[in-house]
Order: sequence, then structure tokens, then C-alpha cells
Amino acid sequence: MFTGFHAMLRAAGLQVGVGEWLTVVDALDRGAVGPSLREFYAVARALVCRDEGDFDRYDQAFAAYFQGASLPQPVTAAVQEWLDNPLQRPSLTPEELAALQSYDLEELRKLYEERLKEQTERHDGGSHWIGSGGTSPFGQGGSHPTGMRVGEGAAGRGQAIATAKARRFRNYRSDVVLDTRQIAVAIRRLRRLERKARRFELDLDQTIAATARNGGDIEIVERPERRNQARVVLMLDCGGSMDPHARTVEAFFSAMKQGGGLREVEAYYFHNAPYGELYTDLAMLQKKPLADVLRSVPPHTYLVMVGDGWMAPRELFSPYGAIEYGMADAVPGIERVEQIAAAFEKRVWLNPIPENYWGEATITALADIVPMFPLTVEGMVQAVGALMGRGDRRQKIEKRSPWPSARDLDFDW
Amino acid sequence: MTSATQDPQKPAPPLPRWQGTPRYIADEGLQATVNVAVALGRPLLVKGEPGTGKTLLAQAIAEGLGLNLLTWHVKSTTRAQDGLYLYDTVARLNDSRFGDRDVRDVAQYIKMGPLGEAFERAATGERVVLLIDEVDKADLEFPNDLLHELDAMRFRVAETGREVVAGLRPIVVITSNAEKELPDAFLRRCVFHYIEFPEEALLTQICRVHHPDVDERLLAAALRQFMRLRSIPELRKKPSTSELIDWVAGLRLAGIDPAKLDHALPFVGVLLKQEKDTQRLGRGDWSRQAARR
Repeated sequence: MFTGFHAMLRAAGLQVGVGEWLTVVDALDRGAVGPSLREFYAVARALVCRDEGDFDRYDQAFAAYFQGASLPQPVTAAVQEWLDNPLQRPSLTPEELAALQSYDLEELRKLYEERLKEQTERHDGGSHWIGSGGTSPFGQGGSHPTGMRVGEGAAGRGQAIATAKARRFRNYRSDVVLDTRQIAVAIRRLRRLERKARRFELDLDQTIAATARNGGDIEIVERPERRNQARVVLMLDCGGSMDPHARTVEAFFSAMKQGGGLREVEAYYFHNAPYGELYTDLAMLQKKPLADVLRSVPPHTYLVMVGDGWMAPRELFSPYGAIEYGMADAVPGIERVEQIAAAFEKRVWLNPIPENYWGEATITALADIVPMFPLTVEGMVQAVGALMGRGDRRQKIEKRSPWPSARDLDFDW
Repeated sequence: MTSATQDPQKPAPPLPRWQGTPRYIADEGLQATVNVAVALGRPLLVKGEPGTGKTLLAQAIAEGLGLNLLTWHVKSTTRAQDGLYLYDTVARLNDSRFGDRDVRDVAQYIKMGPLGEAFERAATGERVVLLIDEVDKADLEFPNDLLHELDAMRFRVAETGREVVAGLRPIVVITSNAEKELPDAFLRRCVFHYIEFPEEALLTQICRVHHPDVDERLLAAALRQFMRLRSIPELRKKPSTSELIDWVAGLRLAGIDPAKLDHALPFVGVLLKQEKDTQRLGRGDWSRQAARR
């Protein structure tokens, strides 16, 4: 009965197994469904869908089967792809890139302010004005070896040196529900059970033993309840090249906050690399000196850093490398990471970009200091294992970048 | 997966078709869904915005079918075991010293939980409606721990070795606010219904049920304002049906003139619970935006 509808449901992308379909048939068999299409619609939907998110697909399949409408072509995936990569990145040959003048940060800021004064209109494409998709050192989504990104939007070459105003105000909400379950289950393993004299529970075995010793006179023995005492400090990279991963990070953050059953989760934010000050809010308006953060960390706190670690090398290795406007730090980001690492005995870095890109100089340098795992459910399980001291089961990262590791670099900026 | 056709239980005597109750208005789809869940003996999982009457649905099903309702309010500390039975060790220990009961009889210290009681009543031939309210409040593994019991409709009391078998499948209604995602294996066994927010016509009908002698002009004006509020996309928490019913009650008690309602929102605290919403509404942020739209 209606097997064609079953096939249509599957074609529409609903996961309807044979068992579920048999239940629908069973319901029809028992005469539980009245002789109206509207009732059948409601009943089959109740048995086939598991979430209101499935309703749309169900409606499409229903219309396709019963009204001869055709299933919409899967254009969404293609559109999604454009949205994920909103700007065309002009690919330039290395010679062309070299031909473009490189600037250092100070020069760049000065030039930016000068050009901003001169410019009066919008520009796309060119090589001089502030605009988008071009090779001018200023703008967004463009290609310039040492450019400065202006405004928000996805980064072009992922190496913009300075962001004057680029801030993502989008909050990593802690109430996102989708996809958090698996992550929460993984975090569950992160526990530090300690008996703290807060709540008491009956110790039955000890009570019986004590009562027996007491000649049958009841003696109740209580013990403090075991509770998860695990504290976690989160440091999240946000904005810039992290934008495409915002959803993943959101899911991770919500799972951490609500599903993990952890005693305390503190979150700090940074842009690309941590410097002398961390942000305490996502809008990046409130700052807290890194030294204060590290000083106030209670013992046995786990550190979880989240970020792609992908940036222009000088952002990590050079003094005053911060591209965040108003964030000036004489200490290179890499040394700040070392300071952070020294404050946490147990630490991991979760990276949302696939492992085969981890050969980049900045990423390998960071992974040398903080053990790095992919931000996937599998990676989380491994990371939690590492935090719990079950050894490091990662594969060695192959260095593919011409850049040597941070320690071997002898910078003379 | 246990298909309902291979059910070991004896067939239940047919229940009348559920058609909502005078106080709970159910559309055709919901009626059909409830009846199918009852016929198949599967739990009915109800989701929907807060205040759309998820919990009330279980009461209405019980009332409509003339059955008793057992309620199990799930909290963050609830374990699956609590729903089956509790073994009161402390009472037994106490009785061993001071009590006059025979402590060798363990059975008297077993107290059935809501699910256990529903099974026991079913064993005596009484079908009940069991409401497992806000299943998503509990631990992540909670739904999984219930799978076997809901599937097989039986469990064993470990302390006495007694097996509790539900002769008839109780009607299980489970509500969820989607605070946590539910496991797939659990979802597969449920009949799923999402209570959509009612349309204006149905809302009017619902309000009339709760306020039979309400002034029509007042009701129309209140609904206009209510729908306008709900249409503001920036609202952090949209007012729900239950809040509308309370609000109309408040307006009636205070004797508000319907004509004034178009320009003012008295007792806005009944509708808006987030401080930010109230503040922004007070500043008129949204009325200006609405005017522009």
C-alpha cells in the first residue's frame, strides 16, 4: 500500500526505514485512520517524522505523490555553497602576488587612514581604493599579501593583516539545540569526581556494618555525595577565518555550557591569536588582562582552546602582531600561548578545519604547545581522553609548510 | 524493534475515538494522531512552543477517553528507575529496630513510581493515561534508559524478583520542550506530534472556550494586539496561548474598554516576560519599525 509514497519520502531525504513504514501500514490495517487524505497526512507524518524540522521534506514528498507535483531540485546545497564562500577569490600567480607591494603594519594603518580620507565612493575590483574583491591592500575578500580587511565578511586569502572594524557580533548562543547531543555525550566523559561536603547521601553498607557493630542499634552513616568538579576554561577564536565554522563552534559551546554537567565553564575570546588581553564577551568590548585570567585559574582546571590557528605568520610570531584595532602587544602571540599553556597542566586545542590543512606554519607551531584535535565528535572523544590523562593518541602532524617550527625561527623584526 | 503487530499483550478493548474535549479543541490532524498512537500502543511524543498546551493534551486525552491520568514530572535529577519503583531501605532499616512490621517481607518497602503504577493498573485491566512531562529536563541518557520498559511494557523488581507486566498498554504521552535533543532510538518508537501555534480563528475559538461570555469587541481587540505582538520578530520570548487566556481574563476583571486596547497594552507583564522585551516595547522601538513595514 502506497509503497510509492515510501520511496518518495526517502527521495525527499527522510530517513524512513522499512520498520517505520510497516508501522504506517499497520495503522492503516487496524482502521485507525479515517477515510480522509487529511487524516492520512497527519498520521503518516506523526509516524515518519521525528522532528518538526522534517515536516517540510514530508510536505514536499506528500505533494509529489498525491498531487503529482515534482520534488524540488536540490538547489539548496549549491546555494549554501555560495553562501559559505560569499566572495570570489581572485587567484593570482606568485609573481603577481610578489609584484604587489608589501607593507608593514604601521605603514598600512597610516595608508589606510589617508586613503579613507580621499575616498568618496564604493569600489569593487581595483587595486588602490578600499573595496572588495580587488588587490588593493585595503578592503575585503581580496588578494594582497599583506592587506588590511575592512568591515565584516568572509576573509579572502585568510591572511588579512589588520581588521579595523571586522567584528562578528553574532553570539555563540548557548541555547542552540541542534547537533549538540553527540557533543554533550562526548563531554560527559570529562569528569573529576570528588567528594565535597555539600550534600550527603546514605552510605548503606557502612550503615549496616555500624548498626551491626552497635548490637542492632541503628547508626546511620552518611557520606558526601560525589559530584563532578571539573572546571573548564574555554578560549575561543572568533571572527575572520573562523566565520565559516561559527555553527560548529556554537554547537560545541552550547553543549559545553548546558549538556556537559561540568561544575564551571568560563569562556574567553580572542581574534586569531591570544595576546596580552583576552575578551570576556563575544562583542569584544570587555577586556581582561591575560595575566589576571591566568592568575585566577583554580588548580586542576582544564583548558580547551578553539580556533583554526590559521593566520598570517607575523600575527603569531612577531611583536605587535595583533591585527585587532587597539590591541597592541609587544609579546608575540606564540609566547602568550606558551604562557597560557604553562598555567594549565591539562590542555587541548580543538581545530575546526580538516587535519590535512594542519601543515600551516602557525598551526604546527600552536600544536607543538597545545595538543591539537579536530573539532569533530571523534576528535572531542580523543581530546577528552587526553585531558583525562589517557595518553595522546593523535597521529603526528606532518609538516608541509616551508615554515620552520616557531622555536627554530630567529626573528629579527 | 518490536512491531506493534507482534505485541505479546492481549488486544485492548477498543476505546472510543478521541475527539478533543469541550475545553480542549483539537484539529483533525491531532485527533487522528492521538487515535493512532492509542491504537498502536506507542508513546505519543508532543513538542511545541511553551504554552501551546502540551501538558493539557494528556489531561484532555484522559478526560475524553474517560481514563485516569498519572503524571510523572521529570526534573533534572530524575532517573529512569524513579519511574519504575523505589526501594525504601531506610524505612526497612528503621523497622528492623523500632517498627512492628515484618522486615523479612521486602515487598512492602517497594513503592511503585508513576510508570510502575501505570503498569500495575494495566495488569488489573485498567488502562490509564501516563504523562511523562518534560522528558528533556532529565539527563541525556534518561530516554534511552526507558526504552526497554516502554517497548516491552514489563520490568522486574530486582529486590523481590517480581515481574510487573502491563496487560494492556497504557497510553503514554511524553512532552518535550526541545531543550536537549532526544536519542534516535527513542524517537523511532514514538508517534510524533508538533503542536503548531494556532491560527487566529482557532485562537478565538480557544478564548471563547475559556471565557464563554466575553465581550466580542474586547476579544477581537485583544487578539489584534496579541497577533501584532507575536509578529514582532525581535521579540525574545513570544507570548503563548496560555498567556493570552490569562491576559483576556485580566482585561475582563479590570473592565478595560476595548476601544482603548488599540493604543495601549495594559498588564503587559502577563504577555511579555523578558525585561528587555518590555523595555524596548515601552520605548516604542517596535511600533516605529512596524509602521515602516
